[in-house]
Amino acid sequence: MTSQNILLRFLVLALLVLFSIVFLAPFLWMISTSLKPLRETMSLPLRWIPSVIQWNNYGDAIQEMRYFWRYAGNSLFLCVMNVLGTVTSSSLAAYGFSRITWRGRDKVFLLLLATMMIPFPVIMVPIYSLFKHLGWIGTFMPLWVPSFFAGAFNVFLLRQFFLTIPMDLTEAARIDGCNEFEIFWRIILPLSRPALLVVALFQFMFTWNDFLGPLIYLTDQKHFTLALGLQSFQSENGGTSWNLLMAASTMVMLPVIILFFFTQKSFIQGIATTGSKN
Amino acid sequence: MTRMEKHNLKWGLLFISPWLLGFVVLSVYPFVSSIYYSLCDYSVLSPAVYVGGENYRELFTDEVFWKSLYNTLFFAAFAIPLSAILSLSLALLLNCNVPAKGIFRVIFFLPSLVPMVSLAILWQWLLNGDLGLISSALRPFLGGINYYFGTALTPPNWLLDAHYAKWGIIMTVLWGVGQSVVIYLAGLQDVPVHLYESADIDGTNFWQKLIHITLPMISPVIYFNTIMGLIGCLQVFAVPYVMTEGGDGPERSLLFVATYLFQNAFDYWHMGYACAIGVILFLIILVLTMAATKLTEKHVHYSGK
Amino acid sequence: MKPVSSIACSGGIYVILALVAVLFCSGCASHSANCPVVIQYWEKWTGFESDAMQSVVDDFNASQNRIRVEYSSIGELDRKFMMATAGGVPPDVSGIWGSRLPVYAENNALIPLDNFASQQGIHREQYIDVFWRLCSYRDHLWALPSTPTTLALVWNKKAFREAGLDPERPPHTIAELEEYNDKLMKYRPDGSIEAMGYVPGEPDSWDSMWGYWFGGSLWDGNQAITADSPANLEAFRWVESYTKRFGAQKLITFRAGFGNIASSQNPFFTGRVAIELEGVWMYNYIKNYAPPDFEWGAAPFPTSDPSKYHDTTIAECDALVIPSGARHPKEAFEFIAFVNSQKEMEKLCFAQRKFSPLAQCSPDFLANHPNPYIRVFLDLAKSPNATLGPPRLISWSQYKNNFDNALSRIQAGDTTAAEALHEVQVRQQKIQDQDLRRWDRVGPELTSEWSQQ
Repeated sequence: MTSQNILLRFLVLALLVLFSIVFLAPFLWMISTSLKPLRETMSLPLRWIPSVIQWNNYGDAIQEMRYFWRYAGNSLFLCVMNVLGTVTSSSLAAYGFSRITWRGRDKVFLLLLATMMIPFPVIMVPIYSLFKHLGWIGTFMPLWVPSFFAGAFNVFLLRQFFLTIPMDLTEAARIDGCNEFEIFWRIILPLSRPALLVVALFQFMFTWNDFLGPLIYLTDQKHFTLALGLQSFQSENGGTSWNLLMAASTMVMLPVIILFFFTQKSFIQGIATTGSKN
Repeated sequence: MTRMEKHNLKWGLLFISPWLLGFVVLSVYPFVSSIYYSLCDYSVLSPAVYVGGENYRELFTDEVFWKSLYNTLFFAAFAIPLSAILSLSLALLLNCNVPAKGIFRVIFFLPSLVPMVSLAILWQWLLNGDLGLISSALRPFLGGINYYFGTALTPPNWLLDAHYAKWGIIMTVLWGVGQSVVIYLAGLQDVPVHLYESADIDGTNFWQKLIHITLPMISPVIYFNTIMGLIGCLQVFAVPYVMTEGGDGPERSLLFVATYLFQNAFDYWHMGYACAIGVILFLIILVLTMAATKLTEKHVHYSGK
Repeated sequence: MKPVSSIACSGGIYVILALVAVLFCSGCASHSANCPVVIQYWEKWTGFESDAMQSVVDDFNASQNRIRVEYSSIGELDRKFMMATAGGVPPDVSGIWGSRLPVYAENNALIPLDNFASQQGIHREQYIDVFWRLCSYRDHLWALPSTPTTLALVWNKKAFREAGLDPERPPHTIAELEEYNDKLMKYRPDGSIEAMGYVPGEPDSWDSMWGYWFGGSLWDGNQAITADSPANLEAFRWVESYTKRFGAQKLITFRAGFGNIASSQNPFFTGRVAIELEGVWMYNYIKNYAPPDFEWGAAPFPTSDPSKYHDTTIAECDALVIPSGARHPKEAFEFIAFVNSQKEMEKLCFAQRKFSPLAQCSPDFLANHPNPYIRVFLDLAKSPNATLGPPRLISWSQYKNNFDNALSRIQAGDTTAAEALHEVQVRQQKIQDQDLRRWDRVGPELTSEWSQQ
């Protein structure tokens, strides 16, 4: 038994290493390009190590983007607002769709699923008109206010997790006389901390990298976000500074990577304790 | 309705009220507007003129639209199963007792953190037929094959060759499965350990455990990821759009339905026609999602109930 | 509860402050010298081209204190412009590409400039004719040019010399171009292409318009699309001949290895391509990115029959427009007119290393111009065979898209030129017919609206 185990573990490790190389290669290429002088970004044969390691590409990239730190501040603001809005509204809605049985609940849930099937470009213009009438075009409002109204994806995700918590917990609490909000606040939320963390993290990542929203609603360049600012490297004349773009991209990715690295243990391993499994 | 039912209804609606409000204002209203616009000739700056079903009639005979539909279905047919198998396999591997799990997790998740613009441009580069990483990696293998079989194979010009372009996009999308891997991992660790323990006592092997315990226990997660994958793939737009710099690929091989919609809306300013495409796309997604749900109903087990 | 006296005190302070505010603002209204009107100007340029316009903006702001221009460099300007105008928050002045004018004008995104222009004494004869025509549509003036360009043949003299060709003599006919190509071809040991003379599609900005150099055009100026006219057919058979002679995959791989146009990796500078059809801005790229010993020349691009089609070129211009819904159209036009004054226009065009779109040109401008071939580009703009490039149709985006598709199929060797052009013709004529019907429906109302502004 043990030797089969060891063989199996070795095989698994080998596969993981193989896949890691495949997954990591483009990323390493990205970093390697970010340190190259422009002429070497396009040379044959391929070089992984630049002949001259141009650390100044990073400084140049920041300069090229002009308002780099401003963009970072804008991105951060939007991420915080969106995470706040998403976690509160989605958990409330998910509770309503999973822990209470009410007439028509599952049919309304299908409606929620249906909203995810509406292609965004279709509703883009009517939503744009709506924001225009509210006078929100050119401000940050369209980029965070909607998060307080529970996006379907997050409600779906949390609902699936809430469903794995046994109903007898809430039944017992109801018998004890707790109202729904108390059950939500004191029982379900604490048990779902890892799932909520997942929602928060995904929302943070999505907002941090979102460029379509800012592209449409922001007009003043000083309000741009980092993701949108990266576009400034794609010049209209067909002259993309590959190395600067990769340098800028690496910098833009860094905060989210660090965030994920520090939170991954708690939410992946912690999600396993959702419900009464332990 | 009984008092209990009324009580539950009140609380249920209360809890979903933020979603409900958003649903009406940000989904129903724009969608209905879109349906109305799809029956009009509307170019944003001039008022919409009602033309009935003309847009739909034109769509039916528009061979570019059918091409975009073919491209989208082709892409979805390969991308969805491939990414499901890949992400599930990686999650299963990561769930085993291996050293340095944390590092592997980060490696697989990293690609999904790359900003859209950078991702597209990076892969545009990787897929370059002449100088890209992938072609360079393939060249020695093809060289070997050429040597033994006397063929003259060269690495394809991925994004510039109509026959390979979609595969280039599929590869790019597969690189980003990290998010699904994390979700699967969470689901896998939810599986009660005692089930595996009793299986071990009974002397089952790895495959049997996989098929009879693991997969059924994480079926809600598989369902979730598959539905999200279906909806996402049928709406694919951003990645190919940035990679083709706003174009539709060689011989329109990268023109997806959402791309054609965007082109009609924001390049040609035919909003009415674009909205008609959107309505059709929505219907396709709806039908396929319902079909997928019905087909897998029997296999999805919720352990909480 | 505060004592009455202190309430009166704070109240009094507020009243005084309010009075001051009112006085200040009314002072603004009557003495605009204290409170300039601020107008927003969006432009597409970056780098030194942007700096050139910035200095003109600075001149304008310094020359008077009623109006202040805030200049911004915007990415994806085209789409941003439309969305902002649709969203009711347009800038007061925007730079646009001249070829987009028909779409904006017919979609009511612009304010007609006829009245403004006549009030300021600006009229057609002051401009090189092509550029006035580029700024007009359906008998109205919609824009005024900012910087112009024309297209010419540029060639690498050193490459010519090395191939045994006379470096001072560019090809004059298409047939000669092909002879030169044969001499300039270089292959790698594995059979792939190392370098060529001219390859269609580098650059690819005018990919659908080769017909002009064969005496053809894409539209008859009225109702008919002429995609498959004999001249166009001849032009695209010529393009097809490249695929037949050199192999589709080889050419695609060859072109895939080209670097950015705006970098030292531009294939023209690295010697991979010796002949190109390029615009007047090529001088800037050469100066910034080409190796120091780079020798180049510029001349009119060869045509199929020089006796009839000599000096054919495509003229384009960047133009300044006032979007519908702009808050200060009058002040916006004052700025546009300022940019169009001879002194400022020459300053702008000189700084961007282009020629001036005005009919009158000071002798110093040409004498001191750093681009040694500026006269070539300027004369091409004045030639009778100077074309406006893209047809002045609102469906040009779709036309171009259809052509791009046709071209990619021809270059992949999947179809013949005749089939591909026929497909484009049929599709585009259908779209054209729809647009004509739409104009019948909305045209009269639009034109009366325009005439009233």
